Amino acid sequence: MGAQRSTSLSKKTGNKLYRQSLYVKQKREREKEKREARFRRKKEEDIEPELRAQRVARNQPATIDRKRVWDDVDDDGLGASVDMEQLLKKRRLQQEEAEERLAAGLDEESDPEKDDDEDSMLGSDDEESDEEAAAKARAKQVIRDDSLAPSTTSTNLDLTPESLVSKFPSLFSDDGPAEPKVLVTTTLNSTLHDQARLLCTLFPHSTYIPRSAHKYGHKYSVREICKFAGNRGFSSVMILREDLKKPIGLDIVHLPSGPTFHFSISNWVEGKKLPGHGNPTNHYPELLLNNFKTPLGVLTARLFQSLWPKTPELQGRQVVTLHNQRDYIFLRRHRYIFRDKRATEKSVVGADGKELKGVENIRTGLQELGPRATLKLRRIDKGIGRAGSEGDDAIQWEWKAKMEKQRTRFNL
Amino acid sequence: MSDEIIWQVIDKQFSDQIKERAHMPSKLWQRIKLSQNYATALKQIDEQLIYWPKFLIHKAKQRVTRLTQVAIRMRRLAKEEARLGEKVVPKMAPKIRRREETRERKAEAAAKLERTIERELMQRLRTGAYGDQPLNVSETIWKKVLNAMEREGEGKRDKDLDQGIEDEEEEEEEEEVEYEEEDDEPDGAVEYVSDFEESDDDLEDIEDWLGSDESDKEEESESEDSEEESTKKAVGDKRKRARVIRAKPKKAARRGKEIEHEHEFERHREELAF
Repeated sequence: MGAQRSTSLSKKTGNKLYRQSLYVKQKREREKEKREARFRRKKEEDIEPELRAQRVARNQPATIDRKRVWDDVDDDGLGASVDMEQLLKKRRLQQEEAEERLAAGLDEESDPEKDDDEDSMLGSDDEESDEEAAAKARAKQVIRDDSLAPSTTSTNLDLTPESLVSKFPSLFSDDGPAEPKVLVTTTLNSTLHDQARLLCTLFPHSTYIPRSAHKYGHKYSVREICKFAGNRGFSSVMILREDLKKPIGLDIVHLPSGPTFHFSISNWVEGKKLPGHGNPTNHYPELLLNNFKTPLGVLTARLFQSLWPKTPELQGRQVVTLHNQRDYIFLRRHRYIFRDKRATEKSVVGADGKELKGVENIRTGLQELGPRATLKLRRIDKGIGRAGSEGDDAIQWEWKAKMEKQRTRFNL
Repeated sequence: MSDEIIWQVIDKQFSDQIKERAHMPSKLWQRIKLSQNYATALKQIDEQLIYWPKFLIHKAKQRVTRLTQVAIRMRRLAKEEARLGEKVVPKMAPKIRRREETRERKAEAAAKLERTIERELMQRLRTGAYGDQPLNVSETIWKKVLNAMEREGEGKRDKDLDQGIEDEEEEEEEEEVEYEEEDDEPDGAVEYVSDFEESDDDLEDIEDWLGSDESDKEEESESEDSEEESTKKAVGDKRKRARVIRAKPKKAARRGKEIEHEHEFERHREELAF
């Protein structure tokens, strides 16, 4: 190739200026070759679109998300990294299979003309048949998995496992207030008043109450504050943590008695600092909860869902996004508008790379409103904070640095 | 409590030198445990140091006073801390912090947030999650979407318009439909029926919700509602179709019935999370 030729030549040449010009020339040649190849390929592919499809299918980037591994367990606890969708599907299949088996077995038993040995085998080895069924279900699932393209990234909260619901009944019950009310406060002696007020604009019906009037004022504990807030009809309490006058953490307490979620915040940017930002209105935003897949993720998504009113005011055209990618939860707020596609733009494609049907000539304009932040889940306490939780399961889940040793396993 | 231990070990003991035992260095010093009570402790000092200079007795008493005060303050602070229950969390090690910064940056790049958000919004738009008369879409755009949906779902459109139009997601996942239908369909259907019947009943509610400016249109839609009831099957005209279900999304907004909303579109968009 040209690369080899160029190195050899430029090394041979003693004159620096000449060597430089040589290098430039050779590079130009190389680029030209590449460009021509590209155009040639394009021409070929225009004639035969299949070639392009093949190439695109072949050129899948090997991203970490693609390599993501799941725990191979039938467990819907918080520690397990399992895809709830797949797990539930698997369980359903297994159940169906078992029912089929059962029905078949019953039929066979009732039928007198069936083979005796087969009948006896079914009667005696129930476990074996169960295993067989499971294996079959697994095989079936594998086949299905391949055919199934994830059409979207949104989180489906219908997938909540029963164990979670029984563990956090208050979070999953629907009898809470229709419009959540959030109390925002900070840690003791904090200076984050502006940031806390900014958070208040993000959550409808939220109030910022400074933690203390002055440095020597009486200090209320989070548990006391939560009690007061619960009595005043708040549905959750948020505590913004500070370090070096910057927000570094957000603790969210679900009232009346927990659980408490501790998030760390990085990359906090208020709306005013964003170039081309818009100003938010008081409409209830839509909520996009993307990519929360494991039981832990579903739990987190449920928490976020409980912070905003259930019914958005669509005329506001605002959307709050909580996008989970590799355990980092990206918080963004945008105003959107559906508009005609410009001639220079491409149509929106789905996750599978195919154009979305029906909206080929439409695009969405987005204007960021802020604040933007990146959250990361660090701990879930059963009660109100660490101090307010007792028992063996006081800490329901905790982030550990060693969890990140394997780069392809994620918790959310 | 650590302060308790310290108190016991250091404070309530008090050593004095007995000159008569000067020939036994190991027993030269005598250790006397003082009472927890401050007044008693002072009395004990007086008794034990009966022949000592006044100045040294005073110093010993001063020391007891000081230590008593320290103990009281420590106890008070510990109690306050226990009440607040706030622990100083150590910062993450720089190594971890740097690692997380990098991974976050890469995750953000991989997330392609704006593109994902746009895609999700479009999905919601085209699957009808915003209702049949969405407030967040301009007329012209919505007409386009409806046209496209109609063109696409020519033969498949349901008579009620309640299930929306079955999109190609279903075609892709044909194999799944067979069992998804079993548990999902009755649910969604029931939810919808109740919804639709009610829409005539609480028209008054809708009217005051909509405000005065739209009230004249409301009557129109009412008449058309009944009209539509009879000619459900024949709704081919898109203009009519857009007007027919005018009341629905607004009513949804009023009553805060997000659950119904979700169920309604469950079959195509289970993942809708408002």
